[in-house]
Amino acid sequence: MSVVARLEEEALRPEQELAALIEQATGDGAVVSFAGIARPASEGGEAVYRLALEAHPTLTLQSLEDIAVGAAARFDISHVRVVHRCGDVDAGEPIVFAGAAALHRRAAFEAADYLMDRLKTEAVFWKREIGESGSEWIEPTEADYADRERWS
Amino acid sequence: MRVLFYGRLAETIGPELEIDAPTGCSVAELRDRIVAEHPQAEQPLRSRRALACVGDALVRDTYVLRTADRLEFLPPVSGG
Repeated sequence: MSVVARLEEEALRPEQELAALIEQATGDGAVVSFAGIARPASEGGEAVYRLALEAHPTLTLQSLEDIAVGAAARFDISHVRVVHRCGDVDAGEPIVFAGAAALHRRAAFEAADYLMDRLKTEAVFWKREIGESGSEWIEPTEADYADRERWS
Repeated sequence: MRVLFYGRLAETIGPELEIDAPTGCSVAELRDRIVAEHPQAEQPLRSRRALACVGDALVRDTYVLRTADRLEFLPPVSGG
């Protein structure tokens, strides 16, 4: 079992994270990964140039670790990997990578789903969209919180 | 007492305030005081999703603050 949780200040490369996870997954039969990308438009359809992700000096990494460890404890998986950007992320660039390796696919799918539902609502970041209409704080939607509740 | 703010709270109030909290003051009472002085921060400060921390641990509204505590108010968080 390995648990990786990392805060990335520079460019996040999902293909490298996936390759590292596959390399670790010796003997496993499934690797499932998710990459989140900064959208180029707001919910209202206005152009977004970049996301600004503010992190807490200690609680942000702690929250990533807590979520990754939660997945490892809950599902029958062998490896879990969570990498999250902080700072400015241009539209079209990756923000988050979440992946899990397991003997069988179901546990890996569920773990990746669980990781993202918790990351959306519990990872300690404060997120702003910066675009043509200025700067706007983005918080989880009620649907995001409902998705999180599925795992309670 | 040092009180730190993040996200939209830091934008509205500033990243840090030094507040003379009376002995026995709770988190809820301190929040009321900050709202009274910064009414524009009322919504994010009173959000049911906002968190209060002392020493990197979550604290409830009833937590009684000590002078040496460093209180942090975290508006709703969002990753992904």
